[in-house]
Amino acid sequence: MIWVNAVIQGLLLGGLFALFACGLSLLFGVLGIINLAHGDLAVLGAYVAVALLPSVHTNVLWALLFVPPLFAVFGYVSQRTVMGRSMRSGPLTTLLVTFGLSVVIQNALLEGFSADSHSFTLGALTTRSLHPASDISLSWLRMGILVVAVLVLVVVQLFLSRTGIGRQIRALADDDEAAAITGVNTRHVAAIAAAVAFATVALAGLAFGTYAQFSPTSGSNLLIFAFEAVIIGGLGSLWGTLAGGCVLGLAQTIGAQIDPTFGVLAGHLVFLAVLAVRPNGLMPATVEA
Amino acid sequence: MTTERLLELDAVSKRFGRVVVADGLSFGVRQGETLGIVGPNGAGKTSLFGMISGDLRVDTGDIRLSGTSLTSLSTARRVRSGVVRTHQVPRPFTGMTVFENVLVAAQQGGGLRASHAVDRTLEVIEETGLAEHANVVSGRLGLLSRKRLEVARALACGPRLLLLDEVAGGLTDPEVDTLVSIVRGVNARGVTVLWIEHVVRALVSTVDRLVCLALGSLVAEGKPSEVLARPEVKQIFLGTGAAVDEAPGGLP
Repeated sequence: MIWVNAVIQGLLLGGLFALFACGLSLLFGVLGIINLAHGDLAVLGAYVAVALLPSVHTNVLWALLFVPPLFAVFGYVSQRTVMGRSMRSGPLTTLLVTFGLSVVIQNALLEGFSADSHSFTLGALTTRSLHPASDISLSWLRMGILVVAVLVLVVVQLFLSRTGIGRQIRALADDDEAAAITGVNTRHVAAIAAAVAFATVALAGLAFGTYAQFSPTSGSNLLIFAFEAVIIGGLGSLWGTLAGGCVLGLAQTIGAQIDPTFGVLAGHLVFLAVLAVRPNGLMPATVEA
Repeated sequence: MTTERLLELDAVSKRFGRVVVADGLSFGVRQGETLGIVGPNGAGKTSLFGMISGDLRVDTGDIRLSGTSLTSLSTARRVRSGVVRTHQVPRPFTGMTVFENVLVAAQQGGGLRASHAVDRTLEVIEETGLAEHANVVSGRLGLLSRKRLEVARALACGPRLLLLDEVAGGLTDPEVDTLVSIVRGVNARGVTVLWIEHVVRALVSTVDRLVCLALGSLVAEGKPSEVLARPEVKQIFLGTGAAVDEAPGGLP
């Protein structure tokens, strides 16, 4: 039963990882940006909630209403300015710019909030859970996060495949010059993709804040997990990202069940194994570029 | 034929370092005509399309559409005002179906909404003979279909001026004939066509006038047979005095 519980916790954790990885996957898939500030953006999202919540409401669920939209605007603006500009001078520049953004965010947070860690309190919801059997615990909160993750992936997938803007984003991902000659306003569309990516990362940051304590430097670890989930799942495939998140979550919790110190390492080892055996990931995008 | 000019190039110059791709180039494209462009590799033909479509900025000079300057407009804006190009090597959105490829163009380039965009998409797919491939992911298409799709996507934008960059290149003779008939049909419904082509046979059978470029300059302009008969054109093309018509299937 302990093992069944480990599997369940792993899948629940996978939801969080998938939520994290969604934005990373989107930015890389559409704009070719490897966003080294991704983890720090998530943490920034959590801190924005910490800073603004007291004046709105104490329950972190309220942050869901204003942090993701705020980040969507932030994403749009940074793509139109810093990131878009750097893209025109090559992939190395974007890498450096996002690295710079990461450093700036970390230090600004240290300056503003000190190095102390924070966490969100959700009142009774934090600890409430289902116990279908002894040794098995299903936290409502964690199930909620998994549901949100799946919902976000479904919505993003539908947005990309069914809407006009979504088709433009895919066109842009395929070939930006060809997109321009079919009349796509490439800068605007790129910025919309960035807005969606930033909104999902803010959501992920809030979810993370309910899972664990966070501090200004938590972002680097999150970035690695997000990368691993994306690569295990296969670049350019959102369903792959969900699968990748779950595989990583499973590896970590099962590893931790074997030995409490082995969890994170087990995740890295599974990641390396996938890279060695299936370098394109478990569910790579099917059509050749 | 009306002599009203749809597109006008006015002393357009462009250079990349020491390579001159346009050297004070001036000529006009008349409303409703099909104008062919020939010239050796490196004559600046594709760069010229880049400058007209907005992919490249001109160094000096002006490009006007119906008297309005295009040079400061973005590619997307030029597409909306009716200037649409195709690429020499087709560049479909490989992850999307033929239908979706054309739909993006109809919505963005053509500025159409909902069912109008779908109607336009279906019309254009029919016109370019892609109907049976409409739901095929475009990465799986063969060369002829990719070339058709390149034209279809341009047509979906509702062009006034269609810039064709070697749509007949790399195709077999019957395939070239298929594309030529598509281009004739497009021109017949009033779209002005500017067409770069190495397959001279295809050009001569279709265009009203011909322009010959070399090293970014205009060498000759006029009726196809007259232009190809000019000694300086023959000289540029073959380096000999041989007539262009004798080249089998077109020039390399």
